[in-house]
Amino acid sequence: MTGSSASSRKVLSKIATNRLQKELVEWQVNPPSGFLHKVTDNLQRWVIEVYGAQGTIYAGEKYQLQVDFPEHYPMEAPQVIFLHPAPLHPHIYSNGHICLDILYDSWSPAMTVSSICISILSMLSSSTVKERPEDNDRYVKNCRNGRSPKETRWWFHDDKV
Amino acid sequence: MGNKLGRIRKRQVVDEKYTRPQGLYQHKDVDHKKLRKLILDSKLAPCYPGEDDFICDLEECPICFLYYPSLNRSRCCMKGICTECFLQMKTPNSARPTQCPFCKTFNYAVEYRGVKTKEEKGLEQIEEQRVIDAKIRMRRQEIQDEEERMLRRQEMSSSSRIINPNDIGCISEMGEEIVSTQQLGGSAITHPSGSTQNRDDEFDLENIMLMEAIWLSFQEDDKRHHRSYGDATQLAKYADELRISAAMAPQTESTSTSSPSGGLACRVARQHVGVESSTNSTMVESGGYDDWSTLDNGGGRSTESYPLHNEVAMESFEEQMMVAMAVSLSEARARTSSPEIEWH
Repeated sequence: MTGSSASSRKVLSKIATNRLQKELVEWQVNPPSGFLHKVTDNLQRWVIEVYGAQGTIYAGEKYQLQVDFPEHYPMEAPQVIFLHPAPLHPHIYSNGHICLDILYDSWSPAMTVSSICISILSMLSSSTVKERPEDNDRYVKNCRNGRSPKETRWWFHDDKV
Repeated sequence: MGNKLGRIRKRQVVDEKYTRPQGLYQHKDVDHKKLRKLILDSKLAPCYPGEDDFICDLEECPICFLYYPSLNRSRCCMKGICTECFLQMKTPNSARPTQCPFCKTFNYAVEYRGVKTKEEKGLEQIEEQRVIDAKIRMRRQEIQDEEERMLRRQEMSSSSRIINPNDIGCISEMGEEIVSTQQLGGSAITHPSGSTQNRDDEFDLENIMLMEAIWLSFQEDDKRHHRSYGDATQLAKYADELRISAAMAPQTESTSTSSPSGGLACRVARQHVGVESSTNSTMVESGGYDDWSTLDNGGGRSTESYPLHNEVAMESFEEQMMVAMAVSLSEARARTSSPEIEWH
């Protein structure tokens, strides 16, 4: 559940390290509003606090994202999940996995942690109901062996929320 | 600018060692012979080793974040990419056509036009300036929305003079509060309570005092920054420049057009016109801000150009008042994020 997939365990490549260091500096200078990076000495795993936007059904709530970077970041997407308790959202499973295309098929190396965060907040903000995906139980059961969401074959169907 | 800039394609003189990857990635399936030919034929940027830090005139590759003398450009969206990152994007074994990493257009392809010309850099700067201007407008709109919300809360009559023409529709629907769509974490700016009441009858004392306080704080800021600037003659020169360019400002220029001449004069001109045209609006709709503030991400620092207002003869006290209000609001917001000031 916390990203034990083989790829994220490998040490970061030189280019990944370099890029992440620069992203971190940029984040510190210009943090995306509504997010707080929790400082650690682990460049390969970022824990980020997400604050529900005012005027949305998540206003006043706080969640945590965990971002694990693979050896070949940014050519390969990072693994992004919500730590427990994950927000109630039609695209967020109770194990923290997020059904969002840019984290998987639509990832582009031109994206950054910051842009991912903004996409996730936007996804939260546009939701009008607090509920789990329909197939939550089945999916979570399938992931019990600690499968990474990156190994899931996602089916992106809803572009409204 | 069209695609053809009349540059003659010729074999460029490239050191042999820059015709092959520098080891940024573990490239698989790279046809080194073909790569070398493409680089020598000026169809791809040479594989110069990327620099970690920005040195003048280098361009940053948006994928690896390293700096290069020149980059390749996507055909679709003209975004830059270094040759080594480009080689990573192409997956020769995949059946799917490669998508542009920036705009997602299929059949991603790049071209190489050598080091950017001054013209191209100028155009880019204008584009960047537009983005910054748009951000500023968004911020202002947020502030204005917030202000209007407060106003509506405080007085349920349509008598206020600082209503934007666009809002009359909303105001007439009394009692319906429109919640602003801002607030992705931004802090709300509020009037000191009661400051906007009684506007119909008189300019109340509180308002005047508020304004005075604002101007005083400007002067304070001025002093502080003059000191930090350290060079009085240069300051005087800037002041002169501002005055001259404000005087030269074409009165009809709209805030949204931007002429390629760019530069300080143009920006100040737009600023000037913006102030003049603000008679009906609380927002000082200004297209341009100073070059110095563009060095950062735009946003809240916009208001730092306020001394300009001193240069502009304003029609009436009321207009001055409105400008001051707008400035004070954005000023308050800017303060929360950025203590330093680039103008002067």
